[in-house]
Amino acid sequence: MSQPGFTVDVDHNQYLPDGGRDVSAIATVVSDGAPAAGAVADNGGSAEIIIVDCSGSMDVPHSKIAQARAATAAAVDVVRDGVHFAVIAGTSFARPVYPPDGTMAVASPQARAEARQAVNGLRAGGGTAIGKWLQLASQVLRTSPATLRHAILLTDGRNQHETPAELATAISMCNGFFTCDCRGVGTDWEVSELRKISSALLGSVDIVPDPAGLAADFEAMMRNAMSKQVADVALRVWTPQQAEVRFVKQVAPTVEDLTARRVTSSAQLGDYPTGAWGPGESRDYHVGIRVQAGSVGQEMLAARISLVVNSQVLGQGLVRATWTDDEALSTRINSRVAHYTGQAELASAIQEGLEARKQGDEETATARLGRAVVLAKESGNEDTAKLLAKVVDVVDEATGTVRLKKKVDDADEMALDTRSTKTVRVRKEHV
Amino acid sequence: MSGGYPAGEGFAEGDPLPLADAAPGGGVSPGLEARPPAQATLGTGGHMDGRSTEDVECSSCGALVGVWDRYCENCGTDLAPPVDSAGTPGYLTECPVCSADPEAPQGGITADGYCEVCGHKMPSDRDHVPVNLGVLAGLSDRGQRHARNEDAMALAISRSREKPPVAIAVVCDGVSTSPRPDEASLCAARAAVRVLLTGARMEDDPEQTSRAAVAAAFAALEQVAGPDGAPACTYASAVVDADSVTVCWLGDSRVYWLAAAADAAQPAVAPDATTRPVGAAQEWPVSKCLTKDDSLAAELVATGLLSEEEAMASPQAHVITQWLGADFPDYHPHVQRIGLSGPGAVLLCTDGLWNYRPEAGDLAALALPAGLTSPLDAATQLVKIANDEGGRDNITAVLVPFPPSTP
Repeated sequence: MSQPGFTVDVDHNQYLPDGGRDVSAIATVVSDGAPAAGAVADNGGSAEIIIVDCSGSMDVPHSKIAQARAATAAAVDVVRDGVHFAVIAGTSFARPVYPPDGTMAVASPQARAEARQAVNGLRAGGGTAIGKWLQLASQVLRTSPATLRHAILLTDGRNQHETPAELATAISMCNGFFTCDCRGVGTDWEVSELRKISSALLGSVDIVPDPAGLAADFEAMMRNAMSKQVADVALRVWTPQQAEVRFVKQVAPTVEDLTARRVTSSAQLGDYPTGAWGPGESRDYHVGIRVQAGSVGQEMLAARISLVVNSQVLGQGLVRATWTDDEALSTRINSRVAHYTGQAELASAIQEGLEARKQGDEETATARLGRAVVLAKESGNEDTAKLLAKVVDVVDEATGTVRLKKKVDDADEMALDTRSTKTVRVRKEHV
Repeated sequence: MSGGYPAGEGFAEGDPLPLADAAPGGGVSPGLEARPPAQATLGTGGHMDGRSTEDVECSSCGALVGVWDRYCENCGTDLAPPVDSAGTPGYLTECPVCSADPEAPQGGITADGYCEVCGHKMPSDRDHVPVNLGVLAGLSDRGQRHARNEDAMALAISRSREKPPVAIAVVCDGVSTSPRPDEASLCAARAAVRVLLTGARMEDDPEQTSRAAVAAAFAALEQVAGPDGAPACTYASAVVDADSVTVCWLGDSRVYWLAAAADAAQPAVAPDATTRPVGAAQEWPVSKCLTKDDSLAAELVATGLLSEEEAMASPQAHVITQWLGADFPDYHPHVQRIGLSGPGAVLLCTDGLWNYRPEAGDLAALALPAGLTSPLDAATQLVKIANDEGGRDNITAVLVPFPPSTP
């Protein structure tokens, strides 16, 4: 079984002034290999679960449950032969739909036909307790030996039949066991609730305002899952003894703060989970380290960043620090570090602004969303700028003077919220 | 690496052979001495105890080889290989920073030269590397301000029974704004010196060999280019034979002729080297810089816009217009064969030296006459002056006493 390798390309200004201690670097990690259409992954096998909300609200309007059935069938059709899969229905309980005994089916034309038939029998009726859905998914996945484990979760409403603590417990049980992409159909669900799940389970979250859009979205998610080849990839960060890791964030394709997710092996070594990777996949990480100051002319290794799968190191990059008295060198700002710092601030400015608006704090909302407008313009993030323009009236783009719109479509506000973390990528310049 | 060199003429029994002195701090690398022939009766080629007096032992396998042999017939080792400034592997086994603190926990050193505990980069075995081949010698030094020595040099000698030796030197200065400049300079110097040595041994035209050598260096840099970009360096090579030097360069590393004659301190109005036919030995009492920098500063001076002093002080002073690197495939190396008449020495150096002493006359006054017989001492002295005055850059100097002869 061959493991693909990773290349780690570190970009930063390695020069610190005399007494300087903070090193900031962007690490671009690329998984080897070109995406091969229809190739059978040479790995421990994949297992896929589709979790469908069958609460009563899914019948209001009826198109929600009807489209959910169609979307699930569409996703099942994309599952490759030999891959394990299952479908679960969720209400205030969770029950296996296919296979009905709570195990996993091996995909084949026959199995897919049987699954489609079972899915056709899905009906809406009952409450919503998402934690229970996650727990059942976890149990079902355990019946398979597959190593690449992934779920698609669809809901239309709030987690009314569970406490936040119960949901949190369920999430932490599933943490690291499988990845999960979450979708909310319509506008009656809570973005922050689903984000808790997608963030912890290293997946995406998005709104599908019109049920008719579900099939295409599910199909895309399943295709993406089929392209993964390596599971449980960790970003390992080594630092010298008296150094401190201030933060580790994924900054492309989306912002995700991994700092608190550190699994510490020793004072100098920590692993950050990054989920599953497909060939040719590329993600950028922003790492901040505080080191002991060295003397001018000295060079120190501030961090060694590697990608680890099953205790095997598959790629490495070095973050160096060199102390200099040449101001021209130490005051250079690495453009990618600056760009991604701005993108991360953009994501938090949007989320804080939207939260303030919900709480009725118009002053804060105006300030934060105004700041977001400036950052979106500066970084060329046109997609986010368009979404912002549906929530605020932009008076002056350069200074961030905005006015909150009186009437904002719920779908627009939720789209801005879910997509606030999507970043614009910046390529490295070659001097 | 280098072994002992075969004994040349002029050696009495028991004299130490000129050995490649590539270890930091001097001293002979153990196990690399070649032994002098038993009872060396010079030039007669007689036989004693069943061994030709012209036989020595191969430094690699110990088999007997003729003193003029280039390759060991037994194991194939090159008996007079080039020596470069890469220093010795396995240089340090513990971290000097951590060892200084008795309370600090001790850890190992990673394969790429960092302390596992404190993260400090180990002083490189490239920081200060003297190379003494007798016929020529050089010193490459990190200087006072840079974290790494991104200069590299490679030296070699082509010996033959009938003719005087041919001295070969390559000096490269890594471009700091390119990725892995230290890798660039060492790679380029190593690739080039090999081609120059083979060409000299085959008695090929040195101008052609010089072109082939710089092309080989370029090809080597294409190999090391990666997703982080193209490592790049300057390039200067010199092939010195009994009556000429063939110079090849790209960038702002320089080759000088240092004259030992009485009025060597006079600034040159020397005959143009291109108009003099090769092989016609002319009197060359004046020291001169044989190369013209590929730099913006040099262009400004050439067009008369700035004086040399003004140009050197300007921000353009170190912007080079040509370099060796995969990102610059359309390079045009300068190649020139220049007839020489001694006594004197050929000096190759990087800008870490000539920034402090740009005038050929000044360099000649400092390096000669000591450099005529002890080129390593003279090179060391030049490097010391640059360091004493600030050592703002890496400093490399190679001296070839002219005409080349085995000391």
